[in-house]
Amino acid sequence: MPDIDVLVVGAGPAGSVAAWEAKRTAPELDVVLLERDRVVGLPVRCAEGVGDAGLREFVDPEDAPWVARRITRIIFVAPDDTEVSVAEGRTVAWILDRTRFDACLATGAAAAGVEVRVATEAAGMERGPDGRWRVRVRGPGVDGGGEETLCARVVIGADGVEAMVGRWAGLDTRVPARDMESCAQYVVQNVQFDPDAVYLQFGDRIAPGGYAWLFPKGVGIANVGLGIVALRADGRNAREYLDAWIARRYPGSATVGSTVGGVIVNPTIKQTYGDGVLIAGDAAHMVNPLSGAGIVTAMKAGRLAGRVAAAAIREGDTGARRLSAYHQAWMELLGEDHRTYYRIKQALEGLDDRFYNALARTVNGIPEGKRSLRKVFAHALVKHPQLIPVAARYFI
Amino acid sequence: MTLLISLAKVGRMPPPRASDVASVDLLACDRCGLCLPLCPPEAIHLALDELVIDRHACTGCRKCIAPCPVGALAMVPA
Repeated sequence: MPDIDVLVVGAGPAGSVAAWEAKRTAPELDVVLLERDRVVGLPVRCAEGVGDAGLREFVDPEDAPWVARRITRIIFVAPDDTEVSVAEGRTVAWILDRTRFDACLATGAAAAGVEVRVATEAAGMERGPDGRWRVRVRGPGVDGGGEETLCARVVIGADGVEAMVGRWAGLDTRVPARDMESCAQYVVQNVQFDPDAVYLQFGDRIAPGGYAWLFPKGVGIANVGLGIVALRADGRNAREYLDAWIARRYPGSATVGSTVGGVIVNPTIKQTYGDGVLIAGDAAHMVNPLSGAGIVTAMKAGRLAGRVAAAAIREGDTGARRLSAYHQAWMELLGEDHRTYYRIKQALEGLDDRFYNALARTVNGIPEGKRSLRKVFAHALVKHPQLIPVAARYFI
Repeated sequence: MTLLISLAKVGRMPPPRASDVASVDLLACDRCGLCLPLCPPEAIHLALDELVIDRHACTGCRKCIAPCPVGALAMVPA
C-alpha cells in the first residue's frame, strides 16, 4: 500500500496551495494531490472575481495568463435599477480565468515536488490501527481503472461543498438551508456594460437572500449570474430567476456557457480538524458570508493547513490536539471576522427593497470623486437610521 | 392543564414516517454537490460523477428539493 505523508483531496485553490505549502515547509515529505476531474480547473463553478490585495499575497496578477479582466469600479444596482458607482481610483479586483488559474496553482505545486493525480476521486477512508488513514481512491486515473488504497499520515479535505472528507472523519460539515446560496450563472455575449466594472444588483424579486452579478471577462463577454436562498424564493429555482433577470436586463444577449453551484454563507464549521485530518476552503465553510467570496479565503486556509500538517508530521504528532493549531490560526486570521460578517448579513435581511432604493439615491447625492466607502457609510447612517442596528451588530 | 392536553395530543400523533423520498433526475442534475451538505442524514453523495441518493437513509425532509439550482430533485413515493 503506497505510504504518503500528506494526502490532499481536491485540486482547487485550497488544495493546491495546501499541497504546495506542505511540500515547501518540509521538502522531505511525500505529498499527493488528488483531483476527481480529468483536468484541474474544469468545470468552472465560480463567478471568478477576486479582491486585489488578497490575491497579491499569493501571486502577481499583472500580465498573468490566468487574468481575464482588471476591475477598477464597483457598480451597485438598487432593486429599481438605480446605479451607484464606487471607484477608489485603483485596481479593486480581478476577474480570473479559473481554468488557467487553478492549473497554474497545481502546476506550481507539482514543480515543488507534489505528485498531482487527476481523474482520481477519494471514495472513502478509515483510520488504521497505526493511526494512519486508509483512503480508497478510484477513477480513470487509477491504474487499471479500478480501486486503490492509499495510506496517509495526514489527509487534508479540500473537496468543496460536498465535504466528504470531513464527513468520513466524523466532523459536522452540514449546512442549514437558510445559509445555502443556490447559484446559477451563464457566460453571456453581446451585452453592453462597462468592462472595467463589476455590477451587483440586490432585490427580493431579483435574487432573494443573495444578489445578481455581472463580472466582465472581456469587452462584451461576461459571467452573469445570481445566488438565491431557496427558503426566501417564490418557488422558482436559481436558473429560473437568472433567466428572468437576463431577459429583463440584458435582452438580445447570447449564452455561450452555463454553470450552477452552491455557495455556503455560514461561518466556519465548529471543528476543522481531527486525528490526522484537516478541512480547508468551501468544505469548512470558509467563505465570506456577506459577499460569498471564497477563492482567497480558501488559499489562506490551504496555506495554514499545509504548514501545520507538515510541521506536525516532522514532530511525529498528527493527533487532533496538535492539528487544532490550524483551527486556532484560521479563526484568528479570518474565522472570527466571518462570524461578524455573518451577524451583519442576518441584520441586513430585515431591510427591504424600498430601503435599498432610497439608499442608492442617498449615495448618489455624494459627488462621485468623494465617494469613498467610509464616506458612503457615514452618510448612509445619518440618512437611514434603519442602518444603525446593522452597524451596531458589527461591534457585538 | 393546557400543557397536559397538548402533551396528550402529541402522544396521539402518529410517529413521523416518510411516505416520500427524494429522487434525482440525472439528465437535469449538473453534479454541483450543493444538496450534499443540506441533507441531515447525509443520504446523498456523488460517486464517479453521478448523484446517488440512499433511499433507505432519506427521511423525506425535503430540505434538498427547493435549493437545487436546476430543479433536478423531486419527492417520489418510497
